[in-house]
Amino acid sequence: MADLSSSIREEAKKLLKKGEADVIIGFEKGSLPLCATPCFIRNEADVEKLIWNEFCGNNLSRYLIKAKGKVGIIAKGCDTRAIVELIKEKQVQREQIVIIGVPCEGMVDRKQIMMRCQGNKITNVEDRDERLLITGDLLNVAVKKDECLYPGCQVCTNRNPVMYDVLIGSTSEEQQTDEFTDVTNFDGKSSEERWEYITHEISKCIRCYACRNACPLCYCKECFVDTTQPQWVGKTTGQTDTLLFHIMRSIHLAGRCVECGACERACPVTVDIRKLNRKMSADVKKLFDYKTGLDIDQPAPLSTFKPDDSEEFMLDI
Amino acid sequence: MKNPYLPTPMKVEKNVIETGDRNIKTLTLSFLNNKDEEIFNFIPGQFVELSVLGAGEAPFGIASSPMEKKHIDFTISKVGLVTAQLHNLEPGDTVGMRGPLGNGYPIELLRNKNIFIIGGGFGFSTLRAFTNFMLHPDNRKHYGDITVVYGARNPGLLLYKNELSEWEQRNDIQLHVTVDKGDESWKGKTGVVPVIVKELSIDAENTTTLVCGPPVMIKFTLPVLAELGLAPQQTYLSLEMKMKCGIGKCGRCNIGSKYVCTDGPVFSLAQLNKLPQEY
Amino acid sequence: MDYKTIKKSEITEFLDNLIKEYEIAAPIEKDDIVVFDKIKSSNGVILEYSNSVKSPKKFVIPQFETLISYNTNEDTTNVKEHLDEQKQFILFGARPCDARSFLFLDKVFSDEKNRDIYYKNRRDVVLIISLGCTQPQETCFCTTTGGGPFSSEGSDLLLVDIGDDYIIQVITDKGAELVKKLGLKNAQKDELAEMDRVIKKSEAKIEPDLELNNLKDKLDNSFDGSDWETLTEKCLSCGVCTYLCPTCHCFDIVDEEKNRKGERIRIWDSCQFPHFTMQASGFNPRPTYKERYRQRIMHKFSYCIDNYNMVGCVGCGRCISECPVNLDIRQVLTSLYYSMLSGRT
Ligand SMILES: Cc1cc2nc3c(=O)[nH]c(=O)nc-3n(C[C@H](O)[C@H](O)[C@H](O)COP(=O)(O)OP(=O)(O)OC[C@H]3O[C@@H](n4cnc5c(N)ncnc54)[C@H](O)[C@@H]3O)c2cc1C
Ligand code: SF4
Ligand code: SF4
Ligand code: SF4
Ligand code: SF4
Ligand code: FES
Repeated sequence: MADLSSSIREEAKKLLKKGEADVIIGFEKGSLPLCATPCFIRNEADVEKLIWNEFCGNNLSRYLIKAKGKVGIIAKGCDTRAIVELIKEKQVQREQIVIIGVPCEGMVDRKQIMMRCQGNKITNVEDRDERLLITGDLLNVAVKKDECLYPGCQVCTNRNPVMYDVLIGSTSEEQQTDEFTDVTNFDGKSSEERWEYITHEISKCIRCYACRNACPLCYCKECFVDTTQPQWVGKTTGQTDTLLFHIMRSIHLAGRCVECGACERACPVTVDIRKLNRKMSADVKKLFDYKTGLDIDQPAPLSTFKPDDSEEFMLDI
Repeated sequence: MKNPYLPTPMKVEKNVIETGDRNIKTLTLSFLNNKDEEIFNFIPGQFVELSVLGAGEAPFGIASSPMEKKHIDFTISKVGLVTAQLHNLEPGDTVGMRGPLGNGYPIELLRNKNIFIIGGGFGFSTLRAFTNFMLHPDNRKHYGDITVVYGARNPGLLLYKNELSEWEQRNDIQLHVTVDKGDESWKGKTGVVPVIVKELSIDAENTTTLVCGPPVMIKFTLPVLAELGLAPQQTYLSLEMKMKCGIGKCGRCNIGSKYVCTDGPVFSLAQLNKLPQEY
Repeated sequence: MDYKTIKKSEITEFLDNLIKEYEIAAPIEKDDIVVFDKIKSSNGVILEYSNSVKSPKKFVIPQFETLISYNTNEDTTNVKEHLDEQKQFILFGARPCDARSFLFLDKVFSDEKNRDIYYKNRRDVVLIISLGCTQPQETCFCTTTGGGPFSSEGSDLLLVDIGDDYIIQVITDKGAELVKKLGLKNAQKDELAEMDRVIKKSEAKIEPDLELNNLKDKLDNSFDGSDWETLTEKCLSCGVCTYLCPTCHCFDIVDEEKNRKGERIRIWDSCQFPHFTMQASGFNPRPTYKERYRQRIMHKFSYCIDNYNMVGCVGCGRCISECPVNLDIRQVLTSLYYSMLSGRT
């Protein structure tokens, strides 16, 4: 990955200097090996903190709603898709933000690498283009970055920002994958197998809501899981309660989920949350020929009515 | 060993509408089992967790005096799940009760003092309990002058109207009832509580104030009390926080290192001044 | 202290013997992460691991449990306490930080006045065989919070890995009784010398103490400081840090009912969630991530010292490695500390 940090810093500095942004939301070095962390830069001296590498996984558009003033934001392809939706849903005003788009080559999953290190403490990480050399007391491994990408990044077809004010570096080559192979494969299983899989995934959930809170589109002031009057969902981690939470969340995200994978990355216990959301995306694509977050002027399919809307999902009773 | 989460079964004696908007009711309970009654002793200012099985539990201050045997009163404003169910109860129904919880008013420290009571909203309920406690023939001699300022937004929202008129007749208690906004039939004082408090000539010396009411009332009353010369050690507040366990375990009701459910709900202003302003 | 020894190759047999008489939980790998789970045989138990993602607190405070249940018919309601009898339980292979966390939880739940009998019921049967840390992680900071990679506080027995064998340190009477029953060998002099070497070596490896003398005083003075806002700006107010934390113990109590039968359930809750303190009036004393994160820090590093005379953190590092935005509690503490030192807030 070309070092884009310095270009990002320059851009950030310019925006702050000219008063075009009051704050820049970007990434700084994390406190752990293999890790970058969101940061909020308000003065020019601090732009030096900004970095860019393959660990900048967080979807920073999550912070746009609560941000005050004019905001400059570092955004990958998927992040810009979220911004498009946020603007469409009138949560963010286009004029309020300056998008510093950064073409992405897929983000590396720290936890996959940690697994390979088998509990050994990492003392040094060297970046060798395609590989990371990881050393520690009892450790010496080379990891190919593209073998440790987040699952969402592996199938992403929008690595380049879809909307931006400034573009850093040069565009990445888009992956030519069939977008929904995973969904088709899963659909091919028997209903017992699918149930088994989903309920197993759900059984791991501790209902910490990191998935929801990391999601840029889960911005409801009061989430349905939290309301008490009426109480839609029970609070336990029993199967019914947890499953209901995830199913309702994924339905609420149908046609809105931008597949950035923020939910899955945030989950501490490896729940395959994307499984449900991907199915929703595939259905929305099939029924409405719509892909989320590409075009600010394209109406959202589930909140607009068209006489010729597909009604395949209606049940004949 | 005692199970602190096990509610004691109580019988509903009465459930009476208090206010014109029908949103506040006074619930009178008695014990279903004599044994439970024998071990239940409380101090005015303490609270309990009332529960309607299926709906849940919520904390309520005890509105009746411990001198009244055989029944316990609660004055309940309907705001949500549990309170709505409590409003639906009819005589003969059963509810659960856990308690008494919390510290209550410092009745020993208050002996031989002039007592200045300031209340608003349903927060007046525990102050009513304490006032009735002091007015009991066995207790009256232990307290000096008793002055009560009690306010509601409008006359229809005043609680305990019969009792208020009884107190008005007595000469061993000074009662000042006020409403923010009167109506045609209202003959009493008009004005918010802090303004009325300011008009009174309270002798700060040997007086202790007990305050309970909505946050705005408290916010504007405290400076007035300071002006009247009442030191923070002479001022006690009863606080409200979200609560669940009531026994210092569930972790949500703390202000700094103090748990309102066990260290409170009554704190002196001197104590509160040492705690973070997070309430 | 008594020292016993056991060959590593004998650990499976050791566990399989114990399983006959006790319920045992041990670290196993499940769905790509290490967790403590009840085991039926020694198969799959891993002892070469850093630490589990979820803490073992769930064995004494399960994520949800029924406190009472009831059923109502025409005119009677039957209420039942749920205090099931617990089988003797061994927590095997826990890290010393987690063993210490049980001592902390005892202080919260087993106080004289309001003893929590549900907790006590589960806790009384627990025996902890912990495993000293020869490979402290970059997220570990137990020494800063009063523990250490071989701290025996909270453990009944402590294993130290000396290569082909484990030394078993016998910490409590309960531990001694078990060891006696199993008839383990006494450790030899050279083995003890090796143990000392291992301990020294590991202690040298642990991240240096954060130098935070009188941290509590500094924090108490920082409450209204402006740093909290900037330090916590990236926080998502999720439940990861508190749910994974071995010492966090906050809970909610709710009723669930169906067909006039119901349960009163206690469920983990978190001070990071807005509804935790939301009052019925709609007023919330901790309305944003700032106040909520501040509560977490203040509770652990100040209020707990006032109330339990113990820091509410054992330095296990779970909140550091699993926070989705890498909000590192050590950095927060250090920043607050030094900005208070320099009088900046
Ligand atoms: C020590 C103490 C003494 C008290 N004494 C009394 C008393 O004497 N009388 C009295 O009436 N009250 C008293 N209270 C207050 C009383 O406990 C609350 O009103 C009660 O807990 C409400 O319970 P509920 O189940 O009815 O409300 P809930 O259903 O829990 O909610 C109540 C209100 O909050 C709103 N709400 C609920 N959840 C949310 C949410 N997620 N977001 C936003 N709003 C929400 C609801 O819309 C509703 O308006 C006391 C409280 C304390 C701590
Ligand atoms: S992040 Fe994972 S554990 Fe947390 S609520 Fe979501 S799925 Fe459950
Ligand atoms: S510190 Fe991290 S884990 Fe904790 S609430 Fe904030 S985002 Fe979640
Ligand atoms: S606060 Fe973090 S480091 Fe401390 S005990 Fe809890 S999870 Fe472990
Ligand atoms: S208040 Fe917060 S930090 Fe403290 S124990 Fe409860 S959840 Fe944990
Ligand atoms: S109400 Fe649970 S700690 Fe106070």
